[in-house]
Amino acid sequence: METVNKLGRILLVEDDPKDVELTLTALEEYNLANEVIVARDGEEALEYLYSRGKFKTRSSDNPAVMLLDLKLPKVDGLEVLKQIKSEEKLRAIPVVVLTSSREEKDMVASYRLGVNAYVVKPVDFHEFVNAIKELGVFWAVINEPPPGSVRK
Amino acid sequence: MSQPKLQLHFAHSAILRYGLAVASVTIALAIAFILEHHEFHRGAIPLFLLAVALSAWYGGVGPAMLAIVLSTLSFDYYFTPPFHSLRFTLEDVPAFFFLLTFGALITGFSAVRRRLEAELLQARDRLEIEVAERTQQASLLNLTHDTIFVRDMNDVITYWNRGAEELYGWPPKEAIGKSSHDLLRTVFPSPRDDIRAELLRTGRWEGELKHAKADGTEVVVSSRWSLRRDEQERPVAVLETNNDITVRKRREQQIEGLNQELAKRSTELEAINKELEAFAYSVSHDLRAPLRHIAGFTELLQKKISSVVDEKSNRYLAMILDAAKRMGNLIDDLLAFSRIGRAETQKTLFSLTQLVREALAEGRQDAEGRNIAWKIGALPDFYGDRSMLRLVLVNLISNAIKFTRTRTQAEIEIGCADGNTDDLVVFVRDNGVGFDMKYVNKLFGVFQRLHDSDAFEGTGIGLATVQRIIHRHGGKVWAEGVVDGGATIYFSAPKPRGHLWKP
Repeated sequence: METVNKLGRILLVEDDPKDVELTLTALEEYNLANEVIVARDGEEALEYLYSRGKFKTRSSDNPAVMLLDLKLPKVDGLEVLKQIKSEEKLRAIPVVVLTSSREEKDMVASYRLGVNAYVVKPVDFHEFVNAIKELGVFWAVINEPPPGSVRK
Repeated sequence: MSQPKLQLHFAHSAILRYGLAVASVTIALAIAFILEHHEFHRGAIPLFLLAVALSAWYGGVGPAMLAIVLSTLSFDYYFTPPFHSLRFTLEDVPAFFFLLTFGALITGFSAVRRRLEAELLQARDRLEIEVAERTQQASLLNLTHDTIFVRDMNDVITYWNRGAEELYGWPPKEAIGKSSHDLLRTVFPSPRDDIRAELLRTGRWEGELKHAKADGTEVVVSSRWSLRRDEQERPVAVLETNNDITVRKRREQQIEGLNQELAKRSTELEAINKELEAFAYSVSHDLRAPLRHIAGFTELLQKKISSVVDEKSNRYLAMILDAAKRMGNLIDDLLAFSRIGRAETQKTLFSLTQLVREALAEGRQDAEGRNIAWKIGALPDFYGDRSMLRLVLVNLISNAIKFTRTRTQAEIEIGCADGNTDDLVVFVRDNGVGFDMKYVNKLFGVFQRLHDSDAFEGTGIGLATVQRIIHRHGGKVWAEGVVDGGATIYFSAPKPRGHLWKP
């Protein structure tokens, strides 16, 4: 498929396995799921980004987009966001906060830290699938990622 | 004020004083003649000296001199040979010498005595005037209700006014002569040496002292000290003026106590609010996630099996989805409602007419395809949080649109009712399905609904939100309704007063 060839790598940072499954299902539905890395907490996400720990041997390219949950074990989403945006070689990675929280202070904090988009996970499955699809299509297909990102 | 006897000593009339000299010499002469007649010689000189002494004592220096002259002449004329002649011989020199010397001495002593006496009198008069002035000042100080006393540099009380007696309970005679700080058991706010140093440096001191009264109770006074110096600028006394501030002090302490209590309470409230916030956050995040999973996986399940299971099973799946969606809405509404309670109100003065127009624009979608007659009356300016008030109007208008759905010709009126002088009253009236007045209390409760959700959708939080916002603005919300006869929702709020127009 044409789109698959151009698909960027998505880094999904999400601790809830059910959410992971739903998100992957939604991405699969639109053939966007073949290059998704899942990190289960903030620490794992950072390990991936810095090619540490179990990601020591990964290819050095950055993901085309990072879907980041805020409420995460160990290192929370805002902290991950803060580290990425203050790191010269990671700053360019587009980060989309994908969270259940509609709290204003989370939004304010995220935007202040330089998030590229903020999406509240809809309860309704159709809306959820739509949101994920649109995110995936936009960031992994339509958007031209910064140089040095994986694009198959 | 001089006494009469003393006045005689200083007879002012010169005639009287000199007459006294002449008379005493004449009397002395007469007595000398009588003695001479009885063969008693040598009586004349003592008698003349007596006359001189009398004249000097009662008449002064001048009359004394006159008496000396007259006595000398009389003695020479009558008692020294040649008699009845003013000529005198060498033999008489000792007698004259004696007479003149003693006369002069007596006059001299008398003059000194009189001068001393005059000075004494002057001093006494000055003293009397001063005493009078002081007495008057003291009685003036007694008039004031302030507590005033004077103490010397050893803190010994020398003056004690009536105010001091009234406050402390000791009469002047018991207080005067005592050390003030011992008597009053003074408690100083700062080291005593510092206070004394300030007093000596600046001449005054002010501060709060604790004193003990005669009955043993404690009194707090606001104390002002003034230093008195003598002509050589040496400090001699301290005037202490005290005002009883015990009651004020106690109130201040009470207020302080209340303030502390208030601060504690508000800290507690803040903590509770924080907890609530954390709770709301967790509700927002943690409750929505499983809900999303229920909905998501049910939907996936539905997709997989809808073609193979019967209609009933499909209906169950649809109901699960519907319930999950509804719970999601409830959680969202509840969060919005709790946010209204926590958010700061940002009050400005704005036009309600303009705000109603905006709210109507928002409700237009719901009113599409409907036949609604709008009647918007004149509306006043409103002082409050504009976005919150907007939520109030949006809620009320969408309710009115919703509950007139069954009417072929809906009528919705928004207007301003007669309030009192302090409050303005706004209402939203419709000709919809209305409600039974016996359930009016349930109207504004959270999740309270008077209609089943099949007939009219909604979570039952709209009017609760309205009430919460209006309460936060210091107003009231109430409703009137008749079953199938429409409803009117009123809200009141304090009229804008002296607030600058901020468009």
